[in-house]
Amino acid sequence: MLKYVLKRVGQTILTAFLAVATVFVLLRMAPGDPAANYAPPNPSSEQLEAIRQQFGLDQPVPVQFWTFLQHLFQGDVGTSFFFKRPALDVVLERLPYTITLAVAAIIVTSAVAIPLGVWMARRSNTAPELGANIGTIAGQSMPDFWIGFVLLILFAVNLHWFAPSGFDSAASIILPTVTIAILQIALISRLVRREMVVNLASPYLTVARSRGVSERALTWRYAFSNAALPVVTALGTRFAAMLNGVVIVEVVFNWPGVGELVVNALKQRDFPLIQATVLVTVVLALVVQLLVDLLYPLMDPRVRLGEASS
Amino acid sequence: MTTSTNLPGHPQVPNLAEVPGSILGRESAVTKVLLRRSAAARRARYSTVKIWVGAICAGVVVIPVVLAGVLPLPDPIVGALSESSLPPFSAGHLLGTDPNGRDLLSRILHGGQTSLVIGFLAIFVSGLFGIVAGAAAGYFGGWVDTIISRLLEAQMALPLLLMLLLVVALFGPSIPVITLVIAFAQWPEPARITRALVLVEREKPYVAAARVLGLPKFSILSRHVVPNILQQVLVVVLLLLAQAVLLESALSFLGAGVQRPYPTWGGIISDGRELFVTGKPWLVTVPGLAIALLVVGVNLVGDGLRDRVRRAKGDQT
Repeated sequence: MLKYVLKRVGQTILTAFLAVATVFVLLRMAPGDPAANYAPPNPSSEQLEAIRQQFGLDQPVPVQFWTFLQHLFQGDVGTSFFFKRPALDVVLERLPYTITLAVAAIIVTSAVAIPLGVWMARRSNTAPELGANIGTIAGQSMPDFWIGFVLLILFAVNLHWFAPSGFDSAASIILPTVTIAILQIALISRLVRREMVVNLASPYLTVARSRGVSERALTWRYAFSNAALPVVTALGTRFAAMLNGVVIVEVVFNWPGVGELVVNALKQRDFPLIQATVLVTVVLALVVQLLVDLLYPLMDPRVRLGEASS
Repeated sequence: MTTSTNLPGHPQVPNLAEVPGSILGRESAVTKVLLRRSAAARRARYSTVKIWVGAICAGVVVIPVVLAGVLPLPDPIVGALSESSLPPFSAGHLLGTDPNGRDLLSRILHGGQTSLVIGFLAIFVSGLFGIVAGAAAGYFGGWVDTIISRLLEAQMALPLLLMLLLVVALFGPSIPVITLVIAFAQWPEPARITRALVLVEREKPYVAAARVLGLPKFSILSRHVVPNILQQVLVVVLLLLAQAVLLESALSFLGAGVQRPYPTWGGIISDGRELFVTGKPWLVTVPGLAIALLVVGVNLVGDGLRDRVRRAKGDQT
């Protein structure tokens, strides 16, 4: 078990390093002069040179990377060109908003997708289920920015229930959450259905039924507890993905999270800010993924036994 | 110590006729085999419904898009300012115009051409690469498998959309860059499924027979194993088309798409975004509807086909 944990932690660190290195190399390979973004309009070549020296942009790329790593271990990712403040601080300020949104979305998703998926599995291959099935396909087919706009037009512009954008009150979170949840509900409920159909058809269920176990217990205590494992894994993965992937919804709703920040940072070629964002979101997503993987043996005795024997 | 109907030591036996879902409750000669067969027939019917509904949805979008050059449409790039911001169903402009007086229908259809070309190119590249990599990993195993599996895992962990945005932002939003970026995002899916299928397939007797006949490894893989799994993989690749169109529109929505004035679906929505608050919602809703209709269609066809392929392979789920 300890070996497994150490191996997974090691993999996580390696992946985080790879992600940061990839971003670093990509940024330095790109055409265009970052110093020009930091300089006043129509800068002289002396001004540009001074800026390059100030930010270490005149050094060779490997040297820059080494300096970057050294600073990284001191908790310093560089100063944002645009905000002229430590990039890590800027990102960490925005992070709570993204996390709030992701947590809200995953709660709504679980609350809707699991009952829906179980219902679809129990009514498998009936006409209402075909309807729900097509509904979930539609749910995963709509572009999320478009769902966001349609919700905005309906509830903010026409009905005036919510403020159109930004973060003014607790109610502001509702529309972005629903927008994210629609896609996730479609994906997760289909997974729940698939897992439940397999479990509901398996022999152990027939045995339990013949012993007189109630249908409710059969569904939830027997079939669902077996189906829960891949579902929890998927929810964990989706949550991890949300931490670095709700960019579009944040832009649509002007949600002051990390995604909105990074889109602007990309436009301004704010290298340290992009690096800090990637670093923070990747590490966060990897930690969530790691936790899910480490929970796995706790939830499923079979995995535990498998680890012990191998 | 129990009621008179039960023998001592035996638990209460429920009336089987009242247990919902119990086949024993039916008073007929229907056997489990017959039931399963009828469920299969129903599944077959439903997969046909899905395929047809999907084909109609996709066709409604794809056919006009393909014919966009032939249809009598106004120019999608240059509009008449005198006809700016007309609502849908105006004379001469079925879906209305944008603030520059450009016909929305024409922009959606021409934009669709760009989106579809990028989508098809992307799934061609990712499908080809995914099948080759997955088949090699599954068939040869060993270090080939290790390298490809690690690559797949590493990519899962990266913040994909962020990376794609970064690459497009850095290397310019040309069609080749966007296509490759989408293909890069998508190759794990066909690779994973090909690998899984090849792992099962290579244990089958015909592979052993081919090996005994002295066929080289590569031709066993390419001429015997891959053709057997191709159908299942191609369904997955078809489903990727839906994802590719969505991804392309997301990228152009975030400003990392093909540049203005050339229309793309995401770009049209992004342009309409600032304006919908001022009461021109059709500039956002209508192009989104086109994307949604196409993607729903492709997904339904893919899903129906998948049901069908699975059934042919004897999968009961």
